[in-house]
Amino acid sequence: MVDLIVFITLLALGYGFGRYAETRHYKSIIAREKELQNIPVIASKFLPVRDKPSDAALVSGSVVISVDYFKRFLAGLRNLVGGRVTSYETLVDRARREAILRMKEEAKALGAHMVFNVKLETSSIHKGRRNAVGSVEVLAYGTALTKHR
Amino acid sequence: MKYSNPEIPEGINTSKQHPLKEFVLLTGGVISIIAIAVLLLGLLADRLAHYIPFEIETQMAEGRLPEVIEDGPMQSYLDDLTQRIVAVQAFPPDMQVTVHYLDNETVNAFATLGGNVFMFRGLLEKLPNENAVAMVLAHEIAHIKHRHPVRSMGRGIAIALALTMVSTSLGDVMVDRIVGNTGSLTALTFSRDQEREADATALDSLMNLYGHVGGADDLFKTLKNEAGMLEMPEFFSTHPISENRINRIHVFSEESTTPDKEAVITPLPVGFAQWLNVVDDEGVY
Repeated sequence: MVDLIVFITLLALGYGFGRYAETRHYKSIIAREKELQNIPVIASKFLPVRDKPSDAALVSGSVVISVDYFKRFLAGLRNLVGGRVTSYETLVDRARREAILRMKEEAKALGAHMVFNVKLETSSIHKGRRNAVGSVEVLAYGTALTKHR
Repeated sequence: MKYSNPEIPEGINTSKQHPLKEFVLLTGGVISIIAIAVLLLGLLADRLAHYIPFEIETQMAEGRLPEVIEDGPMQSYLDDLTQRIVAVQAFPPDMQVTVHYLDNETVNAFATLGGNVFMFRGLLEKLPNENAVAMVLAHEIAHIKHRHPVRSMGRGIAIALALTMVSTSLGDVMVDRIVGNTGSLTALTFSRDQEREADATALDSLMNLYGHVGGADDLFKTLKNEAGMLEMPEFFSTHPISENRINRIHVFSEESTTPDKEAVITPLPVGFAQWLNVVDDEGVY
């Protein structure tokens, strides 16, 4: 009985705070993406050849986002029946976009006009008891190109 | 060459489904599947456990029972009452009931493997008359007659095995717990059914012994007072709640006794209060 009350409280806390954090984060992500849209992020390995010569610098951005109790519980149940782990989708999506944004912010500080050869790396930090994923880290890095002045 | 990042519409990499909806669907589905599986497994094990011979049950019980002092006036009184109840319950010839008196303040009595019934001093102290004592005994003896101890054990083992297999293949501690709790709550309904069955048989025995079931409800009134406000809701408990058991006794009583016949409550034998203490104040037998 006590177990059940503790469990429901944890779930509610996880849901409430997780949901609140997620909505806020998405709002901020969307706003900042609009703001930094003038710096294109390109996955191509090859620099634009015909461009005027430009300086290149490594820029990177990384973020760690934690799973909340509710999401973890949903994912655990998902393990039983299979299918899309929708509760983790938003988490990874947010982490990827946030990492790219942080990288772009660094590029903007350098006065870069675009970021080339962008790569993303994802890793899960803290594989807790029985490999339950605790939080996810996404690292985005690329080559920022700054026009010669 | 022009490079640009077009604005990508939201919701491509995420699902639109509301997380709460998924939660309800998933928990509901998983819980009902587990409940059904446990019920089926339980029923199966219950059926099969019936075929375990009583001798084997006795062997399983050997060496695992609490040590008790096997003589004294209380022991012989309980032995005598047990013989009378066994006689009216029409036991199969290969089954024997052994009653043991436990000088311990726990308010309880239980039946276990090998036809062993344990009566605690704590409960006997609180019972007001012989009919209530007979109700307790008859209830525990009925458990043995219906082979409840071995059936519960068989079921317990089958369910525990299955749940362990499922839950160790999962990754989450909390999901484990959900699986476990659903399993045990479902198993409790069996246990409540057994209690009801034992109650019904016990009432029949009392009817045969005394011609009425007066005094039987005293047992549950005692239990109810003992639990007080702490009585758990039936769903979470191994036993039906006392209120419901008292009501069933009253219904049984109305159906089976003739109204003009007075129910004579048999008092406890003289000296019962002294018999309770097996070891006297000086610690000598």
